[in-house]
Amino acid sequence: MPQEQQAHELGRPQWEGLVFRFKNQIGLFEVIEAAFDYRGDVSLELKDGSRIDGYIFNREPQGAEPYIQLFPKDEAGTKAIKYADIVAIEFTGEDTAFGKSWAAWVAKSEALRTAEAERTRAEAEARGDL
Amino acid sequence: MAIPLSQAFTVATYVLRQKLRGNKHYPLVLMLEPLFRCNLACAGCGKIQYPEHVLKRRLTPEECWAAAEECGAPIVSVPGGEPLIHPEMPEIVRGLVERKKYVYLCTNALLMERKLDEYTPSKYLTFSVHMDGLREEHDIAVCRGGVYDIAVGAIKAALARGFRVTTNTTLFEGANPERVRKFFDAMMDLGVEGMMISPGYSYQKAPDQEHFLRRNRTKELFAAILTDRKKHWDFNQSPLFLEFLMGKRDYQCTPWGNPTYNIFGWQRPCYLLQDGYAATFKELIETTDWDRYGTGRNEQCADCMVHCGYEPSAVHDTFSSWSAFTRTAKLTFVPNAR
Repeated sequence: MPQEQQAHELGRPQWEGLVFRFKNQIGLFEVIEAAFDYRGDVSLELKDGSRIDGYIFNREPQGAEPYIQLFPKDEAGTKAIKYADIVAIEFTGEDTAFGKSWAAWVAKSEALRTAEAERTRAEAEARGDL
Repeated sequence: MAIPLSQAFTVATYVLRQKLRGNKHYPLVLMLEPLFRCNLACAGCGKIQYPEHVLKRRLTPEECWAAAEECGAPIVSVPGGEPLIHPEMPEIVRGLVERKKYVYLCTNALLMERKLDEYTPSKYLTFSVHMDGLREEHDIAVCRGGVYDIAVGAIKAALARGFRVTTNTTLFEGANPERVRKFFDAMMDLGVEGMMISPGYSYQKAPDQEHFLRRNRTKELFAAILTDRKKHWDFNQSPLFLEFLMGKRDYQCTPWGNPTYNIFGWQRPCYLLQDGYAATFKELIETTDWDRYGTGRNEQCADCMVHCGYEPSAVHDTFSSWSAFTRTAKLTFVPNAR
């Protein structure tokens, strides 16, 4: 089963929670594009064995040494990391664009409408109009 | 005429200077996003969905002023996020006004009335209040009840203190033209200087994906709204852009016209798409492949008729031919002119 499909069945956004490990450059560019588009943090495992968590806000796939830029989660400033130094990408953070606010608003509106209808009914009943 | 003469003169001379220099890729309005944090989560907004540590980051006043100087546009629009959340916003605005930039401080107005004391009325400063319709439509659009009434109160307070105030309105599928016309009446009755309108852009990251306007629907909607315009309606934007929205003229996008600077850098290619970032304005202009963007060139631009790409096209057109210039002048004074 493809990992994306598995993630959907778990009720999560498409990329959240997925891990991609690269033994070579194949697939790396595609996953970095997805990580760049992703509105959550990712965790990068680098060639030297270190890990860095942060938000990828830019990528430069052209040129002799393609690189990404990210805001590290726990420190100020930015970091630039070469594609060639990345051995794994994990979509660790919540996808903040996974639209929850609209659904919440719709639910709230319906609740407010129900409450208003009930209040109107009670007032009409008290006046003897029902 | 909604825009003060001094501002119109500044913009006109700026555009003419660029044309005389043969500068094709000149900016008209800097879109300065000093933070992404907002106190609303509007259904049609794809600007604020970021991790908490990103939302905590802000541009400093010095970064804002440097961007304005580097870009050189005569107008600076400050959207966000909600700019009034930024604790240094009064200082940022002061610095921009000192640089004689015409600043449009875009706000949902939730904090506006209580923050007015921190600002000084000036011909260079306009509060551009987000209003997406009458009470019912606006509160639904911003996903919170009571916001319309707060904004109306803030507009009245700002006008009473002598501030310039405009409204900015984004329209989505399902907008009722008659209600929108009543909304225009209501805003002009409040005494705002002018109104800005635009169709919403179909942000991939916005919560509500069902109500973005397709191109033909945009033209139908705006034609229904803007035909037989009332005399007291004033729009703080190019008359030719309004004709474009009504389907009366066609433009290609000018994505460099309203360049965007935020905590990530200079955004490629425009305020709406995020196709990467440049470190400097010069790099943005010189290394972006502009031919990849615009109607018919990029599927993400297919339905876009948003002001940040097409109003610069309309302004450029105004100064490109005598007929377009006279048409602009005519529409400015006689909005329903044939």
